[in-house]
Amino acid sequence: MSIYAVIRVLVLLLVLLPLLSAVVVPVFGRCARRVSLILALVHLGITAAVVVVAVVAIGERNAGKVANPTAPTELQFRPEFVPGDSAAHIGSDATDARTTWTLFSLSNKQTRPGTPGPNVQFYIGIDGLNVWLVALASLMLIPVILVSWESVKEKPGAFFGWLFLLQAGIIGAFLSFDVILFYIFFELTLIPAFFLIGKWGMGSGRRDAARKFFLYTLAGSLLTLVGVIGVVLTNPNADGTITFSIPQLMVNVQEGLQNAHQKALAGDGADLAAKHATQFWLFLALMAGFMVKVPIWPFHTWLPSAYGEAPTGVTVMLSALMAKLGAFGILRLVLPLVPDASILYGLPVIGGFAAFGIIYAALCAYASKDIKLVIAYSSVSHLGFLVLALFAFNKEGLSGAVLHMVNHGLSTGAMFASLAFLVDRYRTTEISKFGGLMGRFPGFALLFFVLCLASVGLPGLNNFVSEMLMMAGLFDARNAGASRLWPAVVAAVGIFLSAWYTFTLLQRVFFNASKEPEPVLPQAPVPGVNRREFCAIGSLATVCLLLGLFPQILLDTMKPDVRTLSIIGDSARARVGGVPYVYVDDEPKPTALPAPIPINKGGDEKGKDKGKAPPKKGGNKKEQKAEDE
Amino acid sequence: MTDPLLQQTFTGVFRLVAPEIALVGTACVVFLFGCLTNRRWLWFVVSLLGVILAAVLAGTVKTEMPPLLTASAIIPDGAATFVRWVALITVAVLLFVSWAEVDRSNASEYYGCLLVAAAGVSLVGRANDLITLFLALELLSIPTYILLYLPARTRLHQEAAAKYFLLSVLSSAVMLFGFSYLYGLTGSTNLTVITDALTKAHAESLNPMALVGAVLVLAAIGFRITAVPFHFYAPDVYEGGPAGVVAQLAFFPKLAGFVALARILGLLGGDVRSIPFDANTQLPLLIWILAALTMCIGNVLALLQDNVRRMLAYSSVAHGGYMLMGIVIASSLPDATGQPGIGGMDALLVYLVAYGMMTIGAFAVILFLSTPERPVDSLDDLAGAGQSHPISAGAMTVFLFSLIGLPLTAGFAGKLLLFVGAFSAPTNTNAMRNLYQVMAVIAAINAAVGAYYYLRVVGVMYFRTPLRPATRSRAVPTFLAAVALAGATLFFGIYPAPIVNAARKAAPVPAPVQKTTADRNTK
Repeated sequence: MSIYAVIRVLVLLLVLLPLLSAVVVPVFGRCARRVSLILALVHLGITAAVVVVAVVAIGERNAGKVANPTAPTELQFRPEFVPGDSAAHIGSDATDARTTWTLFSLSNKQTRPGTPGPNVQFYIGIDGLNVWLVALASLMLIPVILVSWESVKEKPGAFFGWLFLLQAGIIGAFLSFDVILFYIFFELTLIPAFFLIGKWGMGSGRRDAARKFFLYTLAGSLLTLVGVIGVVLTNPNADGTITFSIPQLMVNVQEGLQNAHQKALAGDGADLAAKHATQFWLFLALMAGFMVKVPIWPFHTWLPSAYGEAPTGVTVMLSALMAKLGAFGILRLVLPLVPDASILYGLPVIGGFAAFGIIYAALCAYASKDIKLVIAYSSVSHLGFLVLALFAFNKEGLSGAVLHMVNHGLSTGAMFASLAFLVDRYRTTEISKFGGLMGRFPGFALLFFVLCLASVGLPGLNNFVSEMLMMAGLFDARNAGASRLWPAVVAAVGIFLSAWYTFTLLQRVFFNASKEPEPVLPQAPVPGVNRREFCAIGSLATVCLLLGLFPQILLDTMKPDVRTLSIIGDSARARVGGVPYVYVDDEPKPTALPAPIPINKGGDEKGKDKGKAPPKKGGNKKEQKAEDE
Repeated sequence: MTDPLLQQTFTGVFRLVAPEIALVGTACVVFLFGCLTNRRWLWFVVSLLGVILAAVLAGTVKTEMPPLLTASAIIPDGAATFVRWVALITVAVLLFVSWAEVDRSNASEYYGCLLVAAAGVSLVGRANDLITLFLALELLSIPTYILLYLPARTRLHQEAAAKYFLLSVLSSAVMLFGFSYLYGLTGSTNLTVITDALTKAHAESLNPMALVGAVLVLAAIGFRITAVPFHFYAPDVYEGGPAGVVAQLAFFPKLAGFVALARILGLLGGDVRSIPFDANTQLPLLIWILAALTMCIGNVLALLQDNVRRMLAYSSVAHGGYMLMGIVIASSLPDATGQPGIGGMDALLVYLVAYGMMTIGAFAVILFLSTPERPVDSLDDLAGAGQSHPISAGAMTVFLFSLIGLPLTAGFAGKLLLFVGAFSAPTNTNAMRNLYQVMAVIAAINAAVGAYYYLRVVGVMYFRTPLRPATRSRAVPTFLAAVALAGATLFFGIYPAPIVNAARKAAPVPAPVQKTTADRNTK
């Protein structure tokens, strides 16, 4: 039993354990909180093991040189540790780590399991794009449980059960490499969120908020389903069978587009034009669901009510993880599967909405009267920025966006989590009722300041790195319609505005004249930050700091997948512009050949390069030989 | 009558319908001795034994296709087997479901009628002759009239029964009228002969009389599958009828209707690549319009309902619309160029099974939560069911989520297959162009609209406090049936392969004939 096989089982457990917990936890009734905390910690442990091994494994695999990085077969995601996989190994040349676990087949013949075919499969795996998001999803559950510790009085077992189901759906969607499976997990998150908001919500409008959230998201994602099916059916394999595997679909998309591009360059543009027309509709359908989920203005109207009415813990889940599902869907499905339409309409149309949303939501945040809503709108504003960076569709933008998904999840999630402090004590988060909390709760103020500073992008804290990268991505003059660099300008204004409303909020709540609303327990003195809250919020603040100081390890892991996507983006840009695509290798060339280190790697080297150094693991930038001649 | 093959065809018929004979025989026993002693548990057990006997016969009696299809009134093909098993399993479930509303006064009649109706559905599946088909459909309808009348004590009940009776008779008459056209054109009542003859005739030019006949049949069957504009009876009957009967009424006529329609249009059994009414005859376009109207109107009207039963009635109308998509998709097969993943009929059969589970389940829960003093009618009657009856409410939630079409429920598998089918239909034909894809988009929007009213019920059950004291129902079999159906809905949602494979065996997707486009354009 190799370590690879062990990790495969653990990857499966990443999804199954929350599902199992969702069933088990409600049984425990009163002590459900402890049980769920233990289960969440176990899950975090599994995730840590998977992440450590995956980071090393992905790093090692990607140190290998790709002969022809623009060939369609190279332009695909490469999931590792696929449960049910029989053949693939780290670093082997197998293009597909196909799983043998078929959910159902559309094939007429009975095929041997493992052979390609029109099968919807349970195809999950780890790659550079999802590994950190999975880690985030696993990590965030712990503060969520901690901040819900006291506040959830009614049926805590059911509450935590639904939380685990929500987590399972989110992690499943991150891990999926089958389009239908992705959709299934994507939708699965609706049910627990509906019950969590509607049953344990805080305000009187919770039922309407829950229903609005559910229906809005469902309406969008049904159109996404139509788009997904359209993508699957318009990109069959070479032999005409359809496939649901995302990596295989990417290859098929690239093959079709590259052929059409060749024809177009030779003078026959009809094929490419037809493909672009199809992609336009598919792009619209796919984006419908993701625009609602992210959300992008004007599809954000469910968000303030859902975030406002949900119990604090659930708001943390929603803002830190659920919102990332939409952006992740763009990254996983839209960009690779309809690349040309993403270039043509991504930045000009969706980017226009997103840019407007950045400003609009920032102003809304400034005007909001409730701390929760301020953070909710700031989340809309930041996510608009994230979507802009995604559609910039270049290396900097994409790596910044993926990093920002993690960072934004951490900082916004932590900010919402810290609100539980106020909710537990005063049952309100209305700005006008608070003042001078700095003197009242210095510990809480300190934590909240750190998170606010992270959120506005102070250098040294996590959001700074990703926002810089995203900004660099937006300053890409190659993008159609971006000649005036307006997205970058809008994003920069957005960052400024975010500092404005965040510091205004801090001033009103933490400085000014001291006042506080009626506490929940009027007789007892209102306690400061207790150990439980300190663990929940402090740990997240620490992670924010760490990620701000050492972002490189995250960037290294996602680098190859980001490069794949950026090649897809560049070639799409060339097709749209009607020019031949020239691959520019902008990997830094090694100044001097690193001395070979005589470490026996246990025979998993391919050994075809003579003087090539075996890859070193670790967080440093890997230098690769750029050219082979 | 000297042809030995003909002899063999006629004499072999009885082997082909042995389970149905067993069902009707059991029903006769139940009817006859019911007047001596009318005990619920006795006739329940006898009926269940009858169903088991039928299932054993269905599993053991070896059948083979009759040598002369053109003379055979009954054919045991894959679709027939599929329909028979669905009918048998459904009637077994319905026996359990109806426990709560059967009493000493009507047990034998109730159970007997159920068995006969199931036999009718099963016969529809294997009818290959207009007469047999009509008789089988009547075998389903007539027991339903009785079932509706059995507990008819209030005006609402009587209105429901009378309405259903009159409209059903009307639809039967229209159907016979349509059949007469088909017979007049082809000179035969055998479906194989009729479809072959019409296909050949349409290769040259379309006979308008055939279209008239087909439209009449479509109208008559539209009544059974509650297609708009033949749906008017549904809300009243669903509201007034006893819940157990309505559960049957929501599923059996739909199953029978769709299978009958597919048989008459040549979409089941024969070679689907050559059908009498392909996309060029405009009949699929008509069905397309019916499907779109049915789902839109069904969903929009369901939005306005405050009565759960009426809401479920309109929801069943809307689902009839989704299922009609399957017929439309299936009629695109003659134009298919590549190997389509979904043939339409297989998706339809999967959807039918999923629909049966969730609709019968929903009515089973309503029946279980109702008591004679406090029936569950309005939405408010379900308020707080999540607290007072957690398991029933949980099952109801599963059914409602399945009706929405959320993943991991059987309803999702059905919708997914229909959508895939609609998208794999060809777009390059003159008659339909990209209407198939438009249909999928309409269905997706409708599914989102439908989510609104289903979700309302979930919200009422879980987010509101009970308005009335919790009732204790002791109808354990009904409860068991509901839980089992919820379990099946989830199981086949997570692992739909068994149903999908069975449906694909029943309605295989053939490799397309290689027609040249020039050939089609000259036509």
